[in-house]
Amino acid sequence: MGKVFTVAVKEFLATVATKGFIFGMLFPPFIMTMMIVLMPLLMNKKAPTVYGHIAIIDQSGLVAPRIKDAFSAEKIKARKEKKIRQTMEEGTKAIGMDEKSAAKIKEQADASPMAAASSLIPETSLSVVVLPPDTPVDEARKEILKATGREQAGDGGSARLALLVIPENTLRTKELNSEGKPDFKPYQLLTAPRLDVEVQGDIRNETARAIVDSRLADAGEDPVKIRGLTEWPKADEKAVTKEGDRSSNEVAKLMIPGAFMFLLWISTFSAGQYLLTSTIEEKSSRVMEVVLSAVSPMQLMLGKILGKGAVGLLILGLYSSVGVTAMIFFAYAHLLAWQNLVYLFVFFFIAYMIIACLMASIGSAVNDINEAQSLMGPVMMILIIPMMLWMPILRNPNSMFAQVCSFVPMINPFVMVLRISGSEPIPAWQIPVSILVGLATVAFLCYAAAKIFRIGVLMYGKPPNLATLIKWVRMA
Amino acid sequence: MIGWEKIQASGGKQLTNAIEIRGLNKSFGPKLAVQNLDLTVPQGALYGFIGPNGAGKSTTIRMIMSIIFPDSGELSVLGKASAVESKDRIGYLPEERGVYRKMKVGAFLKYMARLKGLDAAEAERRTKEWLVRVGLADTYRKKCEELSKGMQQKVQFIAAVINEPELLILDEVFSGLDPENRRLMRDLIREQNDAGRTIIFSTHAMNEAEQLCDSIFMIRGGVKVLDMPMKQLWSTYDPKTVVVEPTNPADIDLAWETLPGVREAVRSEQFVDLRLGENANVATLMQGATAMAGVRKVELKRPSLEDIFIELVGGDSESVRKELRASAKPVQEVARG
Repeated sequence: MGKVFTVAVKEFLATVATKGFIFGMLFPPFIMTMMIVLMPLLMNKKAPTVYGHIAIIDQSGLVAPRIKDAFSAEKIKARKEKKIRQTMEEGTKAIGMDEKSAAKIKEQADASPMAAASSLIPETSLSVVVLPPDTPVDEARKEILKATGREQAGDGGSARLALLVIPENTLRTKELNSEGKPDFKPYQLLTAPRLDVEVQGDIRNETARAIVDSRLADAGEDPVKIRGLTEWPKADEKAVTKEGDRSSNEVAKLMIPGAFMFLLWISTFSAGQYLLTSTIEEKSSRVMEVVLSAVSPMQLMLGKILGKGAVGLLILGLYSSVGVTAMIFFAYAHLLAWQNLVYLFVFFFIAYMIIACLMASIGSAVNDINEAQSLMGPVMMILIIPMMLWMPILRNPNSMFAQVCSFVPMINPFVMVLRISGSEPIPAWQIPVSILVGLATVAFLCYAAAKIFRIGVLMYGKPPNLATLIKWVRMA
Repeated sequence: MIGWEKIQASGGKQLTNAIEIRGLNKSFGPKLAVQNLDLTVPQGALYGFIGPNGAGKSTTIRMIMSIIFPDSGELSVLGKASAVESKDRIGYLPEERGVYRKMKVGAFLKYMARLKGLDAAEAERRTKEWLVRVGLADTYRKKCEELSKGMQQKVQFIAAVINEPELLILDEVFSGLDPENRRLMRDLIREQNDAGRTIIFSTHAMNEAEQLCDSIFMIRGGVKVLDMPMKQLWSTYDPKTVVVEPTNPADIDLAWETLPGVREAVRSEQFVDLRLGENANVATLMQGATAMAGVRKVELKRPSLEDIFIELVGGDSESVRKELRASAKPVQEVARG
């Protein structure tokens, strides 16, 4: 066992302590973590406050007071808060959070980086200057050119950041357009080139609202009442299941199982690939027999599988902890069923052992990486099939198809990871049975791989085909 | 055929045997690689395995090392039924050998030492000591791929002996070495043998074996053709040729065949090889030769191992010689070695 461990340590270090691994495997999660940590910090730096005024030439005489009201300090603040709330709600809805957790989120809102994200909306200190209706537009717009966009509080809002020109026919018209509706003319919005996009949008929205309200009032209607009546209704969506109603959340349904399977896939495949190349290297550099003078083929194979398995485990641990950290950081940890993480590692063991046995067999049988390609077909199938099954299984984790796939050797770890992390609970007995199927597969493949490895490592010359490999397995 | 058993019975020191093989058979598909092989290597012996490529040398060695397993027959290595049980007491330099190209020399040797059961500190100490011994001290931190082939050979040799094995098996140890390194390797092998280690080395270069080993094991086509100590070999295979170098080159054409006991005279530019018939008296013949012409040299020629091999396998000596020469190039299919 000591020798197996020595081989395993060497194999682990030979892969991990290389520039390629550090840059290819460790760097991306490091960058991701840095982004998760740094992004809110960067975002907390508030956008600079915008100081200045909006000038209005209101030829209708009805809109200006409403706009002036809309840009009062209280209204600006209220709008900003509402926007933050909306962003948060959309966020929670997008990932399919239930009400209880959404409430929890709201509690944490101030501390959450989500709130920080909203600080991108700049503070504004805008005054509204109503110019006489007969002011020439050409005169009024000259003032805009004087604005630098870097005005300070002490400037007293003298900088003209925007000029609104609202003609009479924006509100009242007798002409009809081709659809038979009143053919209102557009208003003019002239802005300083450096004006913040958010502020521009705010001006646009509030002007439009003020114009529509003015039209309604002009027509003798109550704008507040009409707005209330035309409020867009919200849907309260629920998925009906035997276990009770649950809010339907498409994104969560796909994202978390997808992430689980991706983790499983990337870790087993990378580790398997490392195992294949290192075995081929030992053969092609003819160091194999030198090593076999000190250890038995079985010890060598076991050591290699364990060593590269540790590499896979490192990748899996690293990426999944980055994922979990991110979820905790963004307060989505409740979406994660912790026992699924345990299952992830159980199925990693099974999936990796399957791939590793195949890779060790192939690596031992061929002379170089090119010869390996022709034998890689079956391995690629195992890795590609789960990718193809992803959508059908996620849509319906308890379909007959998904259930059958859970017991098909070699692909079942991937299928089970998709199913257990999906939104629908699966029959409890299927998990241990699938694990048993997996373990039986592993036992058989280990037996076969040991035989192929023992013969293959010393075979040079013509690369064997699949039939030869099967013959080796049958040999005593 | 005279084996070790006879020598031991006739007064040789009684030793425990490092290797005992009885009736060993191994075939690869239809090809019989080793047939009904018996071999006894006493402890402390320096044994040469010779024979052309494909003769079964490496196959025999691999079976001794338990890398491949015999179809039938008995085998014991250092008193154990399999080398697996005594791997840490054996050093092995395989014919197909290499190094981890990307690994540092020091790290590679330490790894091999660890695999052979040494602890980390001892592995490091011996690695450094050995690298100094073979003049590679500055390569400790170099990658194996940066070494020349000869240097890599030395590193591989260190890997084989680093555990101070009781039994050292060196397969084609001289191939790929320049004359200087051959000498170094010969010295190292002798030194290991003087330290009491049993050594088996295989080679197709018979002259190397002649210079080095104290016993010879010859194999061809998987069948043993010779197995005896060198001393006995030289007495068994009597010299049958007297070489004459006349002072005057013209004398080469004299009727040397007429001398008593000469079967045949083979002439070259400078020498005449007098092949002796049965029961020839060497002393009389030599006197006769010196009387016949002025000679620079009259010498009783020792047969080379190659000559003995050819004599033993019989048949067309030219084709056998060719077979031996062809061995200079290593074969690819290791398992058929």
